[in-house]
Amino acid sequence: MKGIEGLKAWQAAIQEQRDPDATWIAVCAGTGCLSQGAADLAAALREALIRHSLEGKVEVKETGCRGFCEQGPLIVIHPEGIFYPQLKAADAERIVSETILRKQVIEDLLYQDPVTGRRHIHEGDIPFYQKQMRLVCRLNGVIDPTHIGDYIVHGGYQAAAKALFEMEPVQIVEEIKRSGLRGRGGGGFPAGVKWESCRNAHGEPKYVICNADAGDPGAFMDRSLLEGNPHSIIEGMIIGAYAIGSHEGYVYVRNEYPLAVRNLQTAIERAEAHNLLGDNILESGFDFHLKINRGGGAFVCGESTALMASIEGRVGEPRAKYVHTVESGLWNKPTNLNNVETWANVPLVIEHGADWFSAIGTETSKGTKVFSLVGHVNNTGLVEVPMGITLREVMFDIGGGVRGGRHFKAVQTGGPSGGTIIVDTTGAARPAEDRDEHERGPALVPESLIDLPVDFESLTEAGSMMGSGGMIVMDETTCMVDVARYFLNFLTEESCGKCTPCREGIRNMLAILERICDGRGQEGDIDLLQEMSDTVADTSLCALGGTAPNPVLSTIRYFRPEYEAHIRDRRCPAGVCTALIEYSINATKCTGCHACFKACPTDAISGEVKAAHVISTAKCVKCGSCLDVCKFDAVVKQ
Amino acid sequence: MAQFEPRIVAFLCRWCSYTGADLAGTSRLKYPPNVLPIRVMCSGRVDPTFVVNAFRKGADGVLICGCHPGDCHYNEGNYNMMRRFPLVRKLLAQFGVEPERVRLEWVSASEGDRYAEVVAEFTDEIRKLGPLEWAPMMAPPPVQTAESVVTAK
Amino acid sequence: MPTLTIDGQTVEVEEGKTILEAAEQLGIEIPTLCHHPLLEAYGACRICTVEMQRGKRVRMVTACNHPAQEGIEVQTRSPRVLRHRRMIVELELGRCADLPVLRKLADDLGIDRSRFGTGEHECILCGLCVRTCWELVGARAISFANRGTDREVTTPYHEFSDACIGCGACVAICPTGVLKMEDIKGRKVIHSELTLGPQRAIRIPFMQAVPNAPFIDPDECAHFTTGECKVCAKVCPRDAVDHQMEDQFEEIEVGTILVATGHDVIDCSEMLRYGYGLYDNVITGLEFEKLSHATSPTGGKILMSNGEPPKSVAILHCIGSRDENYKEYCSRVCCMYSLKFAHLVREKTGAEVYELYIDMRSAGKGYEEFYKRNLEEDVVFIRGKGSEITTWPEAPGEEGKLVVKCEDTLLGTVRRLPVDMVILSPALQARADAAKVAQTFGLGCSRDGFFLEQHPKLGPVQTASDGIFIAGTCQGPKDIPDSVAQGAAAAANILSLVDRGSVVIEPITSVVEETTCGGCRLCISVCPYDAARFDEEKKVSVVDEAVCKGCGTCVAVCPSGAAQQRFFADTEIMAEIDGLLAEIGDRHQFPA
Ligand SMILES: Cc1cc2nc3c(=O)[nH]c(=O)nc-3n(C[C@H](O)[C@H](O)[C@H](O)COP(=O)(O)OP(=O)(O)OC[C@H]3O[C@@H](n4cnc5c(N)ncnc54)[C@H](O)[C@@H]3O)c2cc1C
Ligand SMILES: Cc1cc2nc3c(=O)[nH]c(=O)nc-3n(C[C@H](O)[C@H](O)[C@H](O)COP(=O)(O)O)c2cc1C
Ligand code: SF4
Ligand code: SF4
Ligand code: FES
Ligand code: FES
Ligand code: FES
Repeated sequence: MKGIEGLKAWQAAIQEQRDPDATWIAVCAGTGCLSQGAADLAAALREALIRHSLEGKVEVKETGCRGFCEQGPLIVIHPEGIFYPQLKAADAERIVSETILRKQVIEDLLYQDPVTGRRHIHEGDIPFYQKQMRLVCRLNGVIDPTHIGDYIVHGGYQAAAKALFEMEPVQIVEEIKRSGLRGRGGGGFPAGVKWESCRNAHGEPKYVICNADAGDPGAFMDRSLLEGNPHSIIEGMIIGAYAIGSHEGYVYVRNEYPLAVRNLQTAIERAEAHNLLGDNILESGFDFHLKINRGGGAFVCGESTALMASIEGRVGEPRAKYVHTVESGLWNKPTNLNNVETWANVPLVIEHGADWFSAIGTETSKGTKVFSLVGHVNNTGLVEVPMGITLREVMFDIGGGVRGGRHFKAVQTGGPSGGTIIVDTTGAARPAEDRDEHERGPALVPESLIDLPVDFESLTEAGSMMGSGGMIVMDETTCMVDVARYFLNFLTEESCGKCTPCREGIRNMLAILERICDGRGQEGDIDLLQEMSDTVADTSLCALGGTAPNPVLSTIRYFRPEYEAHIRDRRCPAGVCTALIEYSINATKCTGCHACFKACPTDAISGEVKAAHVISTAKCVKCGSCLDVCKFDAVVKQ
Repeated sequence: MAQFEPRIVAFLCRWCSYTGADLAGTSRLKYPPNVLPIRVMCSGRVDPTFVVNAFRKGADGVLICGCHPGDCHYNEGNYNMMRRFPLVRKLLAQFGVEPERVRLEWVSASEGDRYAEVVAEFTDEIRKLGPLEWAPMMAPPPVQTAESVVTAK
Repeated sequence: MPTLTIDGQTVEVEEGKTILEAAEQLGIEIPTLCHHPLLEAYGACRICTVEMQRGKRVRMVTACNHPAQEGIEVQTRSPRVLRHRRMIVELELGRCADLPVLRKLADDLGIDRSRFGTGEHECILCGLCVRTCWELVGARAISFANRGTDREVTTPYHEFSDACIGCGACVAICPTGVLKMEDIKGRKVIHSELTLGPQRAIRIPFMQAVPNAPFIDPDECAHFTTGECKVCAKVCPRDAVDHQMEDQFEEIEVGTILVATGHDVIDCSEMLRYGYGLYDNVITGLEFEKLSHATSPTGGKILMSNGEPPKSVAILHCIGSRDENYKEYCSRVCCMYSLKFAHLVREKTGAEVYELYIDMRSAGKGYEEFYKRNLEEDVVFIRGKGSEITTWPEAPGEEGKLVVKCEDTLLGTVRRLPVDMVILSPALQARADAAKVAQTFGLGCSRDGFFLEQHPKLGPVQTASDGIFIAGTCQGPKDIPDSVAQGAAAAANILSLVDRGSVVIEPITSVVEETTCGGCRLCISVCPYDAARFDEEKKVSVVDEAVCKGCGTCVAVCPSGAAQQRFFADTEIMAEIDGLLAEIGDRHQFPA
């Protein structure tokens, strides 16, 4: 196959084979949906199709993540675009017999808006998708990632072909610079500038690397892209390698993401088989070899120098970067490292041009950003929004507002949380890869700043940051001291331990936060925390330590009274810190239903049926069972 | 009748076998007195005419001893002898002399006992073969001088 | 050459220097903990943090690894620097409260007590040891394990590391003294190997060595085994260490050679019944010699592998000597040195000593007297060869002991001797390379492999090759006095040759008679010394008499009789044959 014409001919050949009116079912097979039974659902659908003699006529395609994981497993029936969320295998029969055969929409399977109660047929009608701008994720959920033809038919690899045949490397660098594309891995460093330095650096060979460590288990946007559309990343890397003058690339992906590794591996093999990778790509004379490097799964290995050390087979520990990795990176050769999402943006820029790309977003932040929206919001999942959208739009329009009618308290950007466990702190830790490129700042955005536009500069100015794309929404039931404690707990475990301030500083800061949460806080603790933060941030070797104090500093900055309540009044206003709360029963409200009596695991509650009950503080272990079972709001937590 | 006592001429290389024979003597080993040793510098020096002449002059057997292969003082003299030896035997056969009457053995300087053994065994064998009977067809040359033998080669 | 200012002073430094080095040049001291000039910068402790200004931007950087760049302004004692330095020291103290290195830093900075507790760690995780092991030594035996606060220096899986060469470099460099030799290398004292204890790669071979200079053993040296280290070259003040140095093969022209290559001892591990190599405290005579020597790892103390002195020792004679299965000969020295050992053990430890001998051979001046003295020192002599060593107890008192079985031929009973230590007296044998050496020098070997003298009585140090002499145990087992006597005798022989200044070469050479030579060149083809060459003009072969060794091979092949050997001419040999067979007369069988 040769050049753009070759690709286009191939694209046309595939198109010819496919009937645009044919019915097919896209089953989301992202990790989220798979864990909720997508594989069974797909199998059930296929069986049902066989039962109705539709096999071979209606295709069931397993695609990457569509973002609305919370509603999984979900399917879209094409060409009509009928969207059914939260399916069970048992629904397969109905879907085939009614929707596929008789073209009837099944009302009760449709998505129902939790706020308005309305049901929607198409994905595009759902508020969750309405305000999104899916560019990088446009093919996620549409193509079968293991099938290169699906990508080709959507114009895949044509941007790479354009770059190889119609553009000079310098021209490409210029185009990327002009587009304003900035690193999506946290630092927000202009990609074009990085490419240029690497291109101009002395030393051969040069390497390009894709940082797919996706260190935070909750930060699944990088993983979703790898799983759902690996070719877009490969294509971006081909373009980058050509522009920089590199012939060897690595994708550093953690071993804990088997599906991502598998799909990427398949994609690389297919691309190689079709002369889209390897020697003499598309007969352009350009060679590029791409290898997968599986990471062991330490958070710190996402840091550029630690990542490179890990690829080299050494211990994944950061080192000083006084000489930049674009000059001396992997094996001391010039190395250009970009994040998954950054790479995936590259083909878009080349295909549509820098002007098109820079028209999206704000003055300084161009294009879109993928977030994983989690926490106390109604709709959680993966969202792609144009830069400059406000936090309010993301949280309330897309996210559907705070869950359970509670009040919004804070949002943390940069560090996502998956399910019930908050894992990453790093709205805090992530953003400044190199602190001199970006000022560090608190990562929490309080309610007063809710109309802040989401872009690099505004968030930084407001004292927060973009981060890698985690967005944790917290409501009034969140204790801010506890949040800080939680983040630091994660970081003590993830610090590599090489440098003193990070290893010892975070450990001791955690100890102080723990004693505050335990009601043993001392006057002066807040000052001490700030003093320590100063040293840890200023003197740590890498950005993990450098940004670790952020959750502490930002919570102190915006929620200082909450700290003071813990220390001075031995009280947790949010009622989270168990040592500081007490349960009691409001005698006027108590009906004596005896439910709490039965629920209490320690027999701390006494009282006759139909008479007001009492909690013995001595026996109470503060498990909260009584609060959960009381139907009359008689249990008080203070 | 008294036992037949053969006469055996032995060519011993000066370095190994002659010293070995010496050692047999100094070690006071007993071996048959039938062997008449002639010292040569190397087993490679043994010219086939020496052998023929010895038989012609009445020897019943000829023993050639040299250093073990690889040990030759001159590196490869014994190999030359080794190559020459089958020809010597063939030649004798043509004269009607039993090839067993000539023997090539390796005896090192330290192998006094081996020398004694070889001699004892060879003497025994020649004794069994009996005195050398030249084949009748062999006519004696008219005059025998060393010079004529040399030119006859 | 970048120019920068540090604390207001301007300094010009070489390209590639760090801020720390630039400060040193100015005599400004910046504290360090994880830095060492021999090691690559690591930047872990952060104690060397300084304030750096370039243009308008101010940053905190570590002096030990930040390049001294053109135009930067560095503050090493600004309030911000001192604030951070204090905090870092305080944090370190919170981990390791009692370390002198930290205590000193704390005093300098006016820190009395850390707000972060009194941790009891002793390791500050500076990584100097690890980097020494990796970068300098190249053994890579230790490294960091675990993340965060669990980080520690250890061997892989906390196991005894075979990769450790016991060089002790990590111990030497550790600023806190937490690392101790025994901790890394449990290897303590004894033996089972010929070399006792870890060898140093660089050493003086033994006290009396000539020349008395250290050498590097390439088999042990980390540089030659791993390509790294060279720490010796880096520390040698005289730059005397040269790893590039190669073995040099020098050809020295000499007129005489004395071969005194000595002996080997038989490998006792072949004789399974003695359990050598299996039981720690069964050692050979040679190992005992090393152990009791003043320079041994035990300082000459006779100790068992557990570090305790033995309470009873058995010395077994004739291990492999006088034994049809191994060496039939007597090794001559064992009886006497075994007596010496017995004496030493009695003297140094007072342990019970048993000598198990076949015959006591104490011929020699003063030897019998020494035997008597041992008898008086209460050494127990048992006539009978030790037949087996076992650790299987059969009677009380045998548990945990080495039990030596033997037949006491004087009492006529089989005995079992429970002892703590057994010394085997292995047979002396010809060196493994004796045959090769013999060939090189044109020597003969006796059947047991020792070199052969020209004549046992008349030429005991001469050999079959003129100018080549032998002395010592390469000729046969003997003790030092005999070896020395032989050596002196050989030297006297050699000196007489040297004195004469010339050697008489063999007169026995070949010559080619020009007139008879037919020019067939057969002689040239067989001559092993290329002594024969062809004279193109005369069309005849010519022998160079100085090169000819006189083997006479050419004479034997010459078809024309032109080649002749002096003293062994064809005519002479023929005459010899004639002469030998002359009196055959009556039995002349040749057909007349
Ligand atoms: C356990 C034991 C204890 C002994 N105790 C005593 C004792 O108490 N008193 C006593 O009198 N005798 C004793 N002996 C005997 C004594 O060791 C020998 O008599 C003496 O060592 C012989 O000296 P030597 O110079 O011939 O050989 P060695 O000492 O063996 O020296 C030979 C030297 O030649 C070198 N060499 C070998 N091959 C080559 C080569 N190809 N090129 C260059 N160099 C080469 C070797 O490295 C070695 O340095 C004892 C022997 C043993 C085994
Ligand atoms: C502790 C730490 C963890 C990081 N983890 C990741 C990660 O998982 N994925 C990622 O893309 N970048 C991560 N980064 C940021 C990278 O170091 C680097 O800035 C980024 O990959 C550069 O790509 P970009 O310019 O395209 O953003 C991490 C940084 C730090 C300090
Ligand atoms: S800041 Fe933390 S993670 Fe980074 S090098 Fe230091 S100890 Fe390791
Ligand atoms: S053991 Fe010593 S040298 Fe090694 S890291 Fe700890 S303090 Fe540093
Ligand atoms: S995995 Fe299915 S929507 Fe995310
Ligand atoms: S020297 Fe003995 S065979 Fe040549
Ligand atoms: S001495 Fe510079 S960081 Fe330790």
